[in-house]
Amino acid sequence: MPQSPAPPRALTVSTSDTAALLQAHALPSDPAAWDELRAPGGDFRPAWATFAGLLPAVASSKALVHELDQRRAQVQQRIRLDGVTHNVYVDAPAAASGTADAGAATPATPNAARPWSLELLPLIIEAGDWAHICAGVLQRAALLERVLVDLAGPQQLLHRGLLPPALVLRHPGWLRPLQGHRPPGGQHLYVVAFDIARGVDGRWWLAAQRTQGPSGLGYMLHNRLVVAQQFPQAFQQLRVQRIASAYRQLLSTLEQQAAVVAGSSTPRVVLLTPGPYSETYFEHAYLARYLGVPLVEGGDLTVRGERLYMKTVEGLEPVHGVLRRLDDDWCDPLELRADSTLGVPGLLQACRAGTVVLANALGSGFLESPAVQAYLPAAAQHFFGQPLLMPAMPTWWCGDAPAWAQVRGALADKVMRSTYPRGGRAPADHSHPELAVQEDADAWTVQARVAMSRAPIWGDGALRPRPAMVRVYAIADGQGGWQVMPGGMTRVAPRDDGSVSMQRGGTSLDTWVITDGPLDTYSMLPQRLQADELARRRRPVSSRTGENLFWLGRYTERTEQVVRLARATLAMLHTGVPAPVRQALSTLALRSGLVPLGVPTLVQSATLFERSLLAGLADATAAQGACSIAYNLAALERSAQSLRDRLSPEHWGLVRSMGSGFRAALAHAADALPTATQVLPALDHLGLQLAAVTGMQTDRMTRDHGWRLLTVGRLIERLQGVAVRLEVFVHAETVQKSALGSVTGVELLVDLLDSLITFRARYQRHEDLLALADLLVLDETNPRSLAGVLRRLRMEIDKLPGPRASLLELRALLPANGTGLSLQQLQGAEDQAVAAQLLALAQQLVGRAGELADRLGGHYFTPAHGLDQRV
Amino acid sequence: MNSSAAATALLMEVQHDTHYRYAAPVSLAHHLAHLQPLQDEHQALLAFDLDIDPAPEAHAGHPHPELHAPPQPLQGEGGQPAQRFFSLMQPHRHLRVRASSRVRVAPRFAALQPAQSPAWDALAASLRFSASAPYQPAVQFAYPSPFVPRLQALRSYAQPSFDAGLPVVQGALALMQRIHRDFTYEADSTSIDTPLQQVLQQRRGVCQDFAHLMIGALRMLGLPARYVSGYLLTQPPEGGPALLGADATHAWVQLWCPGTPGVPAAGSGAGWLDLDPTNNRVPGAGHVRLAQGRDFGDVTPLHGVIRGGGRHTLAVGVSTRVLSAG
Repeated sequence: MPQSPAPPRALTVSTSDTAALLQAHALPSDPAAWDELRAPGGDFRPAWATFAGLLPAVASSKALVHELDQRRAQVQQRIRLDGVTHNVYVDAPAAASGTADAGAATPATPNAARPWSLELLPLIIEAGDWAHICAGVLQRAALLERVLVDLAGPQQLLHRGLLPPALVLRHPGWLRPLQGHRPPGGQHLYVVAFDIARGVDGRWWLAAQRTQGPSGLGYMLHNRLVVAQQFPQAFQQLRVQRIASAYRQLLSTLEQQAAVVAGSSTPRVVLLTPGPYSETYFEHAYLARYLGVPLVEGGDLTVRGERLYMKTVEGLEPVHGVLRRLDDDWCDPLELRADSTLGVPGLLQACRAGTVVLANALGSGFLESPAVQAYLPAAAQHFFGQPLLMPAMPTWWCGDAPAWAQVRGALADKVMRSTYPRGGRAPADHSHPELAVQEDADAWTVQARVAMSRAPIWGDGALRPRPAMVRVYAIADGQGGWQVMPGGMTRVAPRDDGSVSMQRGGTSLDTWVITDGPLDTYSMLPQRLQADELARRRRPVSSRTGENLFWLGRYTERTEQVVRLARATLAMLHTGVPAPVRQALSTLALRSGLVPLGVPTLVQSATLFERSLLAGLADATAAQGACSIAYNLAALERSAQSLRDRLSPEHWGLVRSMGSGFRAALAHAADALPTATQVLPALDHLGLQLAAVTGMQTDRMTRDHGWRLLTVGRLIERLQGVAVRLEVFVHAETVQKSALGSVTGVELLVDLLDSLITFRARYQRHEDLLALADLLVLDETNPRSLAGVLRRLRMEIDKLPGPRASLLELRALLPANGTGLSLQQLQGAEDQAVAAQLLALAQQLVGRAGELADRLGGHYFTPAHGLDQRV
Repeated sequence: MNSSAAATALLMEVQHDTHYRYAAPVSLAHHLAHLQPLQDEHQALLAFDLDIDPAPEAHAGHPHPELHAPPQPLQGEGGQPAQRFFSLMQPHRHLRVRASSRVRVAPRFAALQPAQSPAWDALAASLRFSASAPYQPAVQFAYPSPFVPRLQALRSYAQPSFDAGLPVVQGALALMQRIHRDFTYEADSTSIDTPLQQVLQQRRGVCQDFAHLMIGALRMLGLPARYVSGYLLTQPPEGGPALLGADATHAWVQLWCPGTPGVPAAGSGAGWLDLDPTNNRVPGAGHVRLAQGRDFGDVTPLHGVIRGGGRHTLAVGVSTRVLSAG
C-alpha cells in the first residue's frame, strides 16, 4: 500500500495570537481528572498548542468565537445533509454507563431518528500514548480469542479454576447449541471493541469490551470525514493516522476465511443488520456502502441444505461470509430466541456444517460481562505468561465469596453491575446491594469507578471539559495477529457527571491518533480491479431491495400524479367549471386518495369537498381516511429508508426534506385548515422537488436489475394513472356529457398528463377527440401517452432477470405493439365510437397494470403470506 | 412413595408419531428433532428409525457426518443429546414424523440408599466457585435456564423438605412427594409457554411443569438438576396401575447426588438419580430416556420454523409395547 515518506519533524509549537485567544476561552477542568487539553501548569499540551496555532488568524476574541461557532454549525449542517442519524429508544435499555450499545434491536419499541451528535473538536492522542494503548489492546484481543478457543476445546480455564463456570455456563451468551463448535479457520473474533478511559494518573483503563457486533465503525468513519475537513492544516501537520486500511483489513480477513469455505477466490460477503429500526442502522448502511458489500436483513437470507443463501431478484445466491451487526441471540429462531424475526432459521446448522463464516462467530457474548474482567489477568498469565498491559477498572464478582467479602464494606465509590444481560427486565435495583447479593450473588459484579479524562468540546463560546470514553477496535489479520485501528469512536458525556451513552445525550468526537512514523495513505478506492473481482463487485439485488426499489418508483410517480391533481383541483375550485369536469375531478380525487370515501362531490358541495381535500393533504397517517400527499410522501420515505446503502446522500436527503418540508409548509392551528395561499406554493415547490428526485432516479442510478425494477414500478404506476384519468374523463353516456365535452375539460386532462405544451403546439386549439387520442394514447414519442408508457414498459420487462418464458408471460399481459388501437381504426368513426374504444382500452389497462404488479411481486419479491412461524 | 415399576430389564418398542397439518402450504421448513433414545450402560438402543413424510431434502445428524469433526462434549458429561436437523424445501401441507425405537432398559436404582447420600448443604457448598475447588461440570445444571428462572418462591417451597445436614436424596424424595401431593395433574391445563410462576400459583399442570418446578426448587438450593425427556411404558407389567403421562412424551427430573449408594458411580450417567414427580416414583425400567438438558427447551422432541402454513394443528401419539422382560 502506498505510504508517504515521513517529512522532517519541524513542528514548532506555535504560540500564535489565536492560540492565546483560545486559551483564554478554556474553562477550568476538574482537578481530580486528567485534562486532555492542558498540562498541569495550564499550558496547552503540545498537540493542542500545534492545533490552536494552525487555526486561521483572528483579530479578536469575538472573531474567534464567531469562527469556531461557524465551523460547529457547518459540522452540524453536514450531519443533517448526509442524513447521519441514530435511532433513540423511548425506553432505552439500561445500558451500562459508558457503552453505546443498546443491546439487540427491539423493533416493537417506538423510536425516533435523531441527528447524530458530533462535536467540532477532535480528541487528540499523542503517539506515545497510542503506543501504550495499542500494546494493551492487542494483547487483550489476542487473549479473548485464546479464551474462546480454550472454551471450545479443553476448557483449561474452567478446570484450573481460573474462570468461574457461572460466568460462562450460566451466561445466556454461552450458546449451548454451538458447544464445542470450532468456527472455520478456528477464528472466533474478527473485530473487538474496547471502551477505554484515561485515569487521573494518565494511564488508560479498560471499562468494557464488545465482541458480538460492536457499533461505531461507521460513525467513526463519517466523523473523520467531517472533522478533518474543518481543520485540514492541523490534520496534515499533526500527522494524523489514516483509518481506511483497517477497514480493508477487516473485510479482507473475513474474505480470506470465506474464500476457504467457498472454495473460490470470490466469496460472497454480506453485512447483516437488524434493520431500519435498529439504533445504529445509519452506520450499517454507511459501512455496507463503504465496504462495497450488500446490506441484508435476516429476511433476505435463507438456509437451504445447510448452506446460507441470499434471496436476490435473480434467484438464490450463495453467501460465504457475514459481517454481523445482529446480536447472537437473535440470529436463529430455530435454536436461539424463538421470538426473533430478525434472524435466519437454520443459520446455526449452517455454522455447524462449516459452510459460512460469521464475523464475529456466535457464542462470544459472555465475554461482554463485566465480571469477566476480574479473571482475565489470571488467564493472561496462564496462556501468555504475562501480566495484562492495560488494566481494567478494578472488578469484583460477587459470586466469588472472598472477592465479595473484600469489597462489600466499601461500595460507596463503586458501581454495582449486572453480571448477566438483563434482557428487557426492569433495571437492576442497586439500592440494597447486600440483599441483592444474598439473593443471587452470581448475578452481581462490583466495579470501581475511574474518573474519565476531560476532553475539550467547543460550545457556548468556550472550551468545555467533558468526561470522555474512547472505543478502540482491534481487527484480526486471520494469521493469528491483530492490528488496532488507529483512531476511535470517542464519546463524551453531556455533563460533568453524566454517562457517555449516545442514548442518554452523549455526543461524539473524531479521534486523532498522531504518528511519528510513516503515514498510511491507503484509500478504500480500489486501484485496479481484476475481471472476476469486477463481477463480484456488482452487487446482487436482494428481493427485499428489489421490492423497495419497485415501490420507490411507484410512490415517486404516484406522488407526482397526486400533486398535479391536487394543484389542478384547487385551482379550479372557485371557477365556473362545467359540471362533468367537476364530477371527473371528484372521482379522480377519490380514486387517488385525496379525499376519503363519503365526501360530497364538487358538484354536490364545493365547500365541503375543499375542506376535506385541504384537511387530508398533510395527514401522513391517513387518520381521516384520505391517503393524500403527506401519506404518499411518508410511504416514499419508508421505501427509501430501507435503501440507504443504495441511494446517494442527496437522493435520500431530498426524499426526507420533501416530507418534512411539506408538513412544515402546511403547518396550521389545530382547529383550522391550511389556506390555499399556503397550499399552492407548497405544492409547486413539492412538484419541483419531485422532478429532482425523478431526475436522480432516471439519470443518476446504476442501471442494474434494481434500477430496472424501480423503473418498471414507475411505469406501471404511470400506466395506471394515465389509464384511470382517461377512463374517468371519457366515461359518460355521450361525449358531450363527459368531461371532454368542454374545452376546460380537454385542457385539464392534457394538463394532468403533463402534455399541454405539445398539445397546443401541435393542434393549436383543435380540441377534437382524435387529436386528444393521438397525443395521449397513440403517440409513442410522448412519455406520458399510453403508447409511450407501454413501449418503455415492454422494453424494461425484456431486460428483467429470469427465464425468457416467465418474461414472456409478463409481456403477454400488455398489448404486443402500441396500445392495440391505431389511428386508422379511430379515423372516420363517430366521436361516440371513438370514446367507447378509448374507454374500453383504458379500463383494460387499469386492470392489466394491477395484474402485472402482482405477478412481478410474486416472481421477484418475498410473498407477503410467507411469514415465518415457529411450530 | 411407590417402588420402581419394573425391577428387571425390559425390551420395548416405542412408536412416536408427530403430525402437523397446515391450513396453507409451507414453502420452507427447518426442523430440529430430539427423538432418538440415548444410549448408555443401562439403556441399549437396538434399533431406531426416523421416518419423515414428505421426505426432507436436507438431513443432518449432530454432528454432521462429513463436514465437521465431532463436538467435544463437556468433560464428564454424557455428551450432547442426539439431534437431528432436517429441512423441507418443497411446498407441503402436512408433516408426519414417526420415530420407532427398540430399546432394552435396565433398572438403575434398585439398590438406592437415600440415607447414605451426601448432605445436601455440603454438596451445594462444594459447587460454589473457589479458585482451588475442582471444576465439576454438573454445576451447569445448578444454574437457572430459560424455562426455569430463579424464583424465591421456589426456594421457600423447597426448604421444608431440606433440613440442615439432611442427605440430599432424602430431601429430594420428600420434595417429590410434596409436589405430587400439592399439585394436580391436569392435561391441557398449561401450555409450554406457561411460566413457572403461574404453575406454582395455580397448583396444576402436566409432567413438564412438575419437572420444571422440581428442577427449579432444587436449583434454588444450589443443587444440580436436569430435565429428562422420554417415554413411559403404557401398560405397566404385572398389571400395576397405569401411570400418568404415558400417552404422550413424558418428562421427569435428574438430581446430581454423587456418591450415593445405588446411583451409578461410573459411566455417562454417573452421579445422576432419576425422579418422576408426576408419578412420585424413582423411575425403573419402564422409563425410556430420549435426552436430557437444562429444561424442555434444550431437548424439545420436535420443533421447527416454517415459512407460510397459516394455522396448523398438531397431533402427537406415543405407543409403547413390551417385547420381553428380563
